[in-house]
Amino acid sequence: MLRYTLSRLSQAILVTFVMSFLLFMLIGLMPGDPLENMLEGNPSLTPELMAQMRELYGLDQSVFARYWNWLMAALSGDLGYSSLYFRPVTDVLFPAMLQTVKLMGLTLLVSVPLALLLGSLAARKPNGLIDSVVGVFSFASISLPNFWVSLLLIILFSVKLGWLPASGTPLSAAPSALEQMRHMVLPVAVLAMFHVGPLVRYVRASMIETLSADFVRTARAKGLGEGSVMVRHALRNALIPMVTVLALSFGSLFSGALVVETIFGMLGMGKMIYDAIGNIDFNLALVGLLLATIVTLLANLLADLAYALLDPRITL
Amino acid sequence: MGLNLSIDTAVPASSAFGSGGAAKVQRPGNQALLEVRELTVSFPGEGGSRSNVVSGLNYRIEAGETLGVVGESGCGKTMTSLALMGLVPTAGNVSGQIMFGGRNLADQKDREWRRMRGRDAAMIFQEPMTAMNPVMTVGRQIAEVLIRHEGLSRRDAADRSVGLLEAVGIPSARRRADDYPHQLSGGMRQRAMIAMALACKPRLLVADEPTTALDVTIQAQILDLILELQEDTGMAVQFITHNLAVVSELAHHILVMYAGRGVEYAPAEKLFERPLHPYTRGLIATLPDPDRKVAKLPVIPGGLRSSRSPGCPFAGRCSLASDICRAAIPPMIEVEPGHHVACLKVSQ
Ligand SMILES: Nc1ncnc2c1ncn2[C@@H]1O[C@H](COP(=O)(O)OP(=O)(O)OP(=O)(O)O)[C@@H](O)[C@H]1O
Ligand code: SF4
Ligand SMILES: [Mg+2]
Repeated sequence: MLRYTLSRLSQAILVTFVMSFLLFMLIGLMPGDPLENMLEGNPSLTPELMAQMRELYGLDQSVFARYWNWLMAALSGDLGYSSLYFRPVTDVLFPAMLQTVKLMGLTLLVSVPLALLLGSLAARKPNGLIDSVVGVFSFASISLPNFWVSLLLIILFSVKLGWLPASGTPLSAAPSALEQMRHMVLPVAVLAMFHVGPLVRYVRASMIETLSADFVRTARAKGLGEGSVMVRHALRNALIPMVTVLALSFGSLFSGALVVETIFGMLGMGKMIYDAIGNIDFNLALVGLLLATIVTLLANLLADLAYALLDPRITL
Repeated sequence: MGLNLSIDTAVPASSAFGSGGAAKVQRPGNQALLEVRELTVSFPGEGGSRSNVVSGLNYRIEAGETLGVVGESGCGKTMTSLALMGLVPTAGNVSGQIMFGGRNLADQKDREWRRMRGRDAAMIFQEPMTAMNPVMTVGRQIAEVLIRHEGLSRRDAADRSVGLLEAVGIPSARRRADDYPHQLSGGMRQRAMIAMALACKPRLLVADEPTTALDVTIQAQILDLILELQEDTGMAVQFITHNLAVVSELAHHILVMYAGRGVEYAPAEKLFERPLHPYTRGLIATLPDPDRKVAKLPVIPGGLRSSRSPGCPFAGRCSLASDICRAAIPPMIEVEPGHHVACLKVSQ
């Protein structure tokens, strides 16, 4: 297991390097160049001065040389300066990361247990009453656009009832934990609702299959109660394929987070990358995208490790 | 092979036998341990009708005795066993009486079924690989029964599981208890299944083709094991198989099933000496020489007919069939003491 983890980690590091170069090249293909964007419309800028500045910033070098420079700086902890926020990239990046980790983490804490519960209940009697209700719920979750649900919830809970704040970010400088939580309720609810629908379907399908397995019948033949049959025997086995589904759902969760962050005015990773690309903020976009890559790689690694932990038949 | 199931542990011997005193089913004297009357299992068929998978089955098993149930694939052997355990899939409907220890199981509540299963009656299955939970250790799966029915602590139950694994002849049982099912061979897995089934010393073991999936030599070992355990514990066994040669070795009575019905039911010697039903005769006539006891049921020409068509279900394949056979379903008749047969030509 340790050897496997180490080898997978070193693979991940290699992929990260390759990706960083590819992203560097791709971002270089975006229209304009950083200097032009920053100094655009400045009348006192002569072409000579421009060329001088290019040389100063190393922008006249080849893409390989520029990548090398960026890489060396990045490895020493200098990720550059954000042209959009006029602050070092790290200063923008870390709060955004924290925000997204909070949003996605809380969402997973809600959506995964909810999916397991609803999916298992639905699987007990396929086409029964509970199954139909859960089916409608997951259909709604999959097909209703999350920006629309967000607006609906804001109108109901913030405007009409006034129970919850409409923004995801507290206004006060040092909000209490409770205050922060209150601001997270609606964003997490929307994102969880968006995430839970497909998961419920997978849990249901996986549980229906598992419940017809011979070993479930054996568990019943032993006289075990419905609770241990469902949880300890069926769900425990149905969970194994869920690990992959969960890892694969990360991408859509991230893009869902982008929408939610935008609507609720939260500066998270999704919104940060989106704004960085839209405003041709090279440094920020590059690091943001690279970070998304690393998170995906780690999620896949974690999924494989979880697989091995859940299924004794798999040895790493 | 140590075959004493009442392994000495910290647990008092009485609970090792799973007899919770009054909790056990009362058994008034002079009654069979199990008596099945007019057992019928039906499933919804096409067009809203119900089709009987088992119809009007009658048989009994005395304490300590073995009943062999034979019949070709799809004749309802498994469904009959599942009915005894209250495990018929929810779509199925069970009617008739299942008298077990003087109580009719057929109108038991779910809670009563759960209290009975694994304690008073236990079942082992054809495919020991799929019948065990792949993500739970073998020891834990056995311990579960003891925790459930005898209220043992996890620790005591784990110790007892090791003892049970030893009792069914699994070497280095302590280590094996921590193995997952896929780490055991097929034969070892079936032994572990038997240990699981017998953990609470049930009075009835329902064995649904427990050797079919195993190698020839392993088959013989498992049969021996069941026989030995039966001698030790005095349990009754309902042994289901395709293989007439196998039941000839261990059954006291034999029930031959065809298309969900009993067609012949008799003491084993009688049935082999003087089979009466044409279907049974066909089975025995085509039995391979006794040295090769592993052969599957021979193929009798034709296939299972729908049990809903009028007349004798076997008529389509019976060489003796005539018009009267197609008129009504022949009833099971006791043609001589203990020997029942459902054939118009025999009972006439
Ligand atoms: N869930 C179900 N719904 C409807 N019919 C079923 C169901 N399960 C089994 N059957 C039918 O019941 C009949 C009897 O099945 P059963 O499994 O009892 O046969 P069997 O004698 O055990 O056969 P085998 O020797 O192959 O195990 C079969 O014809 C089968 O198609
Ligand atoms: S009743 Fe008729 S068809 Fe049926 S087994 Fe007897 S002889 Fe054959
Ligand atoms: Mg069967």
